[in-house]
Amino acid sequence: MTAHLPPTLTPLDRLWLTEAVRLREDHAGPLDDDEANRRARAEGGELHQLIERRALWLARRDGLVEALQHWRQGARLAALALLLFALLSGAGLAWAALGDGARPVNVFWALGSLLGLNLLMLLGWLLGFFFAGDSGGALGRLWLWLSEKLARDARAVQLAPALLAVLQQRRLGRWLLGLSVHGLWSLAMLSALLTLLALLATRRYGFVWETTILGENAFVGLTQGLGALPALLGFSMPDIGQIRASGTLANDFDSARQSWAGWLVGVVLIYGLLPRLLLALFCLWRWRSGHSALCLDLQLPAYRLLRERLQPASERLGIQDAAPAHLHKPDSGIQPVEGEGAVLVAIELEPNRDWPPPLPSGIANAGVLDDREQRRRLLEHLTREPAQRLLIACDPRRSPDRGTLALIGELSRCAAATRIWLLPAPPGGVLDDRRLQDWQQVLDTLGLTHGDIAPLSWLETGHD
Amino acid sequence: MSAPLKLALVGHTNVGKTSLLRTLTRDIGFGEVSHRPSTTRHVEGARLSVDGQPLLELYDTPGLEDAIALLDHLERVERPGERLDGPARTARFLEGSEARQRFEQEAKVLRQLLASDAGLYVIDAREPVLAKYKDELAVLAGCGKPLLPVLNFVAQPDHRENEWREALARLGLHALVRFDSVAPPFDGERRLYESLALLLESSRPQLQRLVEDHEAQAAARLAAGNRLIAELLVDVAACRRSVTAQPELERGAIRELHNVVRAREQACVEALLRLYGFRPQDAAAADLPLLNGRWGDDLFNPETLKQLGVKVGGGMAAGAAAGAGVDLMVGGITLGAAALLGAIAGGGAQTARHYGNRLLGKLKGQRELTVDDSVLRLLALRQQLLLTTLAARGHAAQQTIELAMPQAQGWRDGKLPEALQRARARPEWSSLNPGAHLEQRERQALLEALQAELSHA
Repeated sequence: MTAHLPPTLTPLDRLWLTEAVRLREDHAGPLDDDEANRRARAEGGELHQLIERRALWLARRDGLVEALQHWRQGARLAALALLLFALLSGAGLAWAALGDGARPVNVFWALGSLLGLNLLMLLGWLLGFFFAGDSGGALGRLWLWLSEKLARDARAVQLAPALLAVLQQRRLGRWLLGLSVHGLWSLAMLSALLTLLALLATRRYGFVWETTILGENAFVGLTQGLGALPALLGFSMPDIGQIRASGTLANDFDSARQSWAGWLVGVVLIYGLLPRLLLALFCLWRWRSGHSALCLDLQLPAYRLLRERLQPASERLGIQDAAPAHLHKPDSGIQPVEGEGAVLVAIELEPNRDWPPPLPSGIANAGVLDDREQRRRLLEHLTREPAQRLLIACDPRRSPDRGTLALIGELSRCAAATRIWLLPAPPGGVLDDRRLQDWQQVLDTLGLTHGDIAPLSWLETGHD
Repeated sequence: MSAPLKLALVGHTNVGKTSLLRTLTRDIGFGEVSHRPSTTRHVEGARLSVDGQPLLELYDTPGLEDAIALLDHLERVERPGERLDGPARTARFLEGSEARQRFEQEAKVLRQLLASDAGLYVIDAREPVLAKYKDELAVLAGCGKPLLPVLNFVAQPDHRENEWREALARLGLHALVRFDSVAPPFDGERRLYESLALLLESSRPQLQRLVEDHEAQAAARLAAGNRLIAELLVDVAACRRSVTAQPELERGAIRELHNVVRAREQACVEALLRLYGFRPQDAAAADLPLLNGRWGDDLFNPETLKQLGVKVGGGMAAGAAAGAGVDLMVGGITLGAAALLGAIAGGGAQTARHYGNRLLGKLKGQRELTVDDSVLRLLALRQQLLLTTLAARGHAAQQTIELAMPQAQGWRDGKLPEALQRARARPEWSSLNPGAHLEQRERQALLEALQAELSHA
């Protein structure tokens, strides 16, 4: 089954589709999944493999896989658009910063327009990263939103939330979005840097700085402070004289041109491109390491229910030894026509019960029958000397099992007339109505008279 | 992979063998259970597995009903001058013709016990120790398999556990287990399988594994149950309806909100039942004070709230006690403004926009309907009660769940958990509202916090 799937499904895609199927079932109720479950179970394996296989089968059936491809295409398009945007805006930044060369470039304005937005957004991202929790920045949201818009497909409704759910698990979303944010900014800064170089290479720019209220030393310090780090990498830095000269109205630009240009390129590289690049690499690393550790959260209620179906903790094995068409019935013997005397016997009473009740004279008490010997003795006795009237007392709290019924049948064949006395509950006890009914039913089928009041006068005299 | 351990559940008719099997397998539909004797007339099996590996097979057998006569018969199968041991005698009986006629049912039991590793002898502990039960044990002992007596129905008041212990000891059966299939004790399964492991030493590892898995599953089920309740509470707490301030429209909106919340609670009840392997119709038939699976007493009825000891918020008049607090224009503006400030401070233009919309709605004379605190507390109480009841319920139970008075005072009066207060302000977290965002990480974190709080309550 999995073999028919396009081979492009990465482990992330599989997880993603599994989550999408879960969300779909959460929202729209369970899918018709008998076949999927059967196929998933047939191949065996760990629970998460089974769940994944089932979900992939369902996803393929319901077109979710194609939807995923579309979504991916959309995401790629969106990413492409963003890349293009980053390239253009980077170039635009550099262009706007340097201008057409007709006027000397104000170095700090240029620096501000090259780095200001970038650093501001970086600050925003950092704040969001540390405080907002659900970060990724505006750019990340834009990307998600764009890719959702570009892949407008009803089946894909759950795809974006599912991706978020998968990524949330290890808080991977921030790293993925961070990667794209920083990647885009790196690209923009790279494009700006290249444009800058191209412009500097092909045009003649003069560099000035201007102030109304600040002193000269502030600019000297600022320039040197910013340039210190790039200088370590070999970028040129204007010396104090050159800096001062650039601040005067009538300077000749030529002497400081190259060192200012080197300084500007170095500062943009170090403070613009490098942090973004490093952060992008860091995000990439975190994303890679977290990504490989992704797995299904089997504790989710939906998966717990699936576990019951895919790897049932208990399953029925079916009937091993079928029920007989009918249960064995004791054959009815012949009742003696005539007997002698009246006998009262009880079957299986609990030991602490008062037995027998006060009896009129002339009634023989045969006691309580429990074990084999007692049964045999009484049966032998009654077979030799059948009774005229036999009253059998039963406790209807016992269940009317075949053994007891067989005994009642045998006893009843040793007397001319037999009645059953279904004893009332002992003081403080209650009878189970349904059991009582069971007794009445089976005694009716045996054709024996029964009642819950002791028919002692019948037993004594033969009539009620 | 070792073969699964086979156990036969044997015993007199009507002692709850099928019930015990239902509880052990958590399978409410296994076999047939009734008050009539000889309900089960066939041998049926069930398999318990862990991670797809079968560990235990349980076989339900027909009840023994004629043991006294069978023992008699067994004694007669020995030919004169012969001395057969138990299994040989049983084997000869099974070859004979009575094994297909009078003792057909008993023969099924013995055959199954011979094919199993051990037998669980199920006892209705309310029964006196009668001679026929001793004969049953003698017949079963003839199979030469270890027998573990299981005292069923020991949770009922009139059981005779001590008499049974004594009688079994006299028969040489000293290990026995109390296990009520309707209300299984908390550690019942562990005791049962550990006692079995004493009889079947070589099977100890797989029994141990089974016990551990079952306990882990029970804990996970409880957590999942609390999670379901937390989701219900967040859904209801964050549920919100905006309505134009006209009495007629308001009444309609309140009614609609009631219905939505009731339906949501019902969904939670059904989810909990499903989680615990009970069927919705089982609950509807007998298990919950629900009409057709719905809570019978009106959720928003003030009487219900009183009955559960929930103090209805003082300021709420009878109408407000009906469950939905109406966030009125009076004071609403200041509250909304404060919330607006808080939202802006908390960051997130979306939240700000959302509050802005609500504020705008208020200025236009719209009212917002939410669900009252006491209703939330009631929901939490009821669902937690249901959860604890289900957790302690055997799958053999057929009686109605008796819902005792709720214990956790913290829910009855006092504040709502802080997590719920937060959810109040986030309509997009409720699946009952249009345009819900259920997968937001903050919502998930909140659910986890609430779940933890519920499991400690």
